Amino acid sequence: MKNYIIKRILLGILVLLGVIAITFFLTRVIPSNPAAQWVGPRATQEQINKATIELGLDKPLYVQFGKYLKDLFQGNLGNSLRTKQPVVKELKTYIPPTLELVFFSTILAIIIGIPLGLNSARKKDQPLDHFCRFFSVGAVSLPTFWVALFLQLIFFRWLSLLPLGGQLDTRIKLLYEVPHYTGLLLFDSLIDGNFTIFFDALKHMLLPAITISLYPIGLVARMTRSALLEIIGEDYIKAARSYGLKEKLVMWKYALKNSLGTTITVLALSVGYTLVNTFLVEAIFSWPGIGSYIATAVMSLDYPAIMGVTLFSACAYIVLNLIADIIVALDPRVRV
Amino acid sequence: MKKIITLFLVLMLVVGLLAGCGGNNNGIGGADQMDIVYYAYNAEPILNWDPSVMFSNGVIILNNVYETLLRFDPDTKEFEGILATDYSQSEDGLTWTFNLREGVKFHDGTDFNAEAVKFSIDRTIEMEKGASYIWSAVEKINVVNDYTVEFKLSYPAPLNLIASSPYAAFIMSPSAVQNNGDEWFEQANEAGTGPYKLESSSMGDEVILAKYDDYWNGWEGEHFDKAIVKKVSETSSRRQLIEKGEADITHNLPAEDVEALKNVQNVEVLSLPSFTNLFGFFNTEKAPLDNVKVRKALAYAFPYDDVVNYAAGGYAEQSRGAIPKGHWGRGDDLFQYSKDLDKAKSLLDEAGINQGELKLLLTYMSGDEAEKKAAELYKAELSKIGVELEIRAMPWESQWEMAMDTNAQNRQDILMMYWWPDTSSPYSWLYSLYHTEEDILFNLAYYYNEDFDEIIDNAYALSGEDLDASEQEFIRAQEILIKDSPSIFMFDKEDVWILNSSLKGFKPNPAYPLVVYFYDCYRK
Repeated sequence: MKNYIIKRILLGILVLLGVIAITFFLTRVIPSNPAAQWVGPRATQEQINKATIELGLDKPLYVQFGKYLKDLFQGNLGNSLRTKQPVVKELKTYIPPTLELVFFSTILAIIIGIPLGLNSARKKDQPLDHFCRFFSVGAVSLPTFWVALFLQLIFFRWLSLLPLGGQLDTRIKLLYEVPHYTGLLLFDSLIDGNFTIFFDALKHMLLPAITISLYPIGLVARMTRSALLEIIGEDYIKAARSYGLKEKLVMWKYALKNSLGTTITVLALSVGYTLVNTFLVEAIFSWPGIGSYIATAVMSLDYPAIMGVTLFSACAYIVLNLIADIIVALDPRVRV
Repeated sequence: MKKIITLFLVLMLVVGLLAGCGGNNNGIGGADQMDIVYYAYNAEPILNWDPSVMFSNGVIILNNVYETLLRFDPDTKEFEGILATDYSQSEDGLTWTFNLREGVKFHDGTDFNAEAVKFSIDRTIEMEKGASYIWSAVEKINVVNDYTVEFKLSYPAPLNLIASSPYAAFIMSPSAVQNNGDEWFEQANEAGTGPYKLESSSMGDEVILAKYDDYWNGWEGEHFDKAIVKKVSETSSRRQLIEKGEADITHNLPAEDVEALKNVQNVEVLSLPSFTNLFGFFNTEKAPLDNVKVRKALAYAFPYDDVVNYAAGGYAEQSRGAIPKGHWGRGDDLFQYSKDLDKAKSLLDEAGINQGELKLLLTYMSGDEAEKKAAELYKAELSKIGVELEIRAMPWESQWEMAMDTNAQNRQDILMMYWWPDTSSPYSWLYSLYHTEEDILFNLAYYYNEDFDEIIDNAYALSGEDLDASEQEFIRAQEILIKDSPSIFMFDKEDVWILNSSLKGFKPNPAYPLVVYFYDCYRK
């Protein structure tokens, strides 16, 4: 087990290096002028020349790559061309809100998706199954931006129940000191014991989290259903039933537990995907997260920022995959 | 497992209930008594807090936090004294003397005086960043006494216009810079004299300003205590915020949203000329666009009315010359091209170009809907006269990189670009876009005409002394442009402001793009 994990971590580092190299050279061969971008919209030629030297862009590409790697190992990802702020600082600002959102929506996906899939499997081909199937297919196929706008229309415009967007009401920000320990607002406000902020943050999170969770809900429900259907036919389930165990116990304990492996793998991949693909939802809900940051970085060819977020998403994928593999590997049947 | 799920479900239920309880709790104590104005802005409110460097969105924040010596009113062409009470210039136009306002304090408590003016402008010039080049005529700044400062110029220039520029003309506290260092500003700090000071800012997302109690003009009358400027990039969100009365002011929504909002109670729509206009520059160094007849033919093929109505949603007007409507130096009698495909065809014939022979590449900045639609409408018209237009959307840096290629053959044929002024002078357009350049910068028509250069250089020098005479010269220079046709003058954009009708006192000034002077505003 230990060897397996070490092997996977080493492999992960190799993948990371590959991603860094490819992204670095890709962002540099795109026709663009980072120096001009650095100095701003109306630069004079002198300003651009000065910036070219300042940014080290006059040196050969492999020297620049070497410097980038060296800085990287010291935890320095360079400064964003657009905002001039260190990319590391920006990532620290924008990643937590997205993490919080994705975490929250993943929980939603688990607590809604699994029962949905389980009931669907139990009542196969009955109305409940059809409904669940309809719901999960719908959840997967509805475009997120449509759902987001629709939810805003209902809950903000018509019912005035939930806020339109943002992470926190500005008036609350004016009245209270917003705690900042981890950057995860819900968590921080709980530590601080400030429930006004906690509930306001929660209210702001509901709509974007529901929007994001729809896809994983559908995914989890479908995966659980198909995995369970396979398992229900197995001999040990039949045996459990013939012992006269309660149906609920059979389903939740014996069947579901054994079906979770695939669901978790798929869910982990979907979390990795969601982490860097929330920009539509973030833009619509004015959520100050990494998704909008990525979108602006790509649109403005801000290569240090692009490198930073690529690195982040690669790390996220590798870590999540590793976690999923470890969980699966804990299953004695697949122990290596 | 079941227990965990049950636990989660119960937790969620509790959380949901509590969130519901908080739902209608709008009366959050003291915040309701505070008078707050909320400006929903389409992008980051500010990217660079350094008043010497900022040259983009930050204009909307810094113009409330910092002040300049003068402020220019494009309607009356007059200057309002802000930190300067009055000014005079020597006969040769090379010495400008400003008398400064007394009893002004910076937000950090430092007194405002002639030293501070010298320090600020010197710092901006020495840093050579942002729009610092507007001061290029300044040779030396002398402190005459505590409240008098003198600028010595190396060539005559309109220092009143320069000192009222929305960028690079801010006066900052010298002691703040000396104590904290130059990088201090970039970490979101300020030390201005303006009516509002920075209360908090979350990077790229939101800026909260609070009134500065010791503001020199006082707080008599009605004013806002705080101002919030927030990034709301989605147009649908901005529209809903205004409709619901949550935001007080926003701008530039899609035309269909603006139309719908006109019928909403409590919402007011204001459309005014902005000083931004759209150009299509021809690559005059590449055949056959080096032939003026071809360029004129292409100018006659541009669908001006359709572009104004469909691409700009009706919130624009066809340009007349290079200077936009409402700005001094715009020639109301200048010749205007109109769409005339027959004329375009015959001009192409005269130039010896046959049907289907001409293939052109047009570049525009990706993400700009108006440019995209205008390019597509143009393409349709050109195909009618047998000219094939390839449209390419590019990020601005790439578009610019291609335009600066030293080999004229590798560049685009037509480049679409907006221009807006750094200082409120026709020179900002005519010099940057059409004056002879050693290295290519913004003269992206690659236009070289010594007579033209001379006229605008003289007109600029004259503008400090006699604005009306200089205006005539600038108009004369544009006649040359129309004759040589190095570019298509597409349209002058209008700014559409959408505001809550309870917001009063809002006076937009297009010389300060998209700035809301919160001090002038109040609620009724």
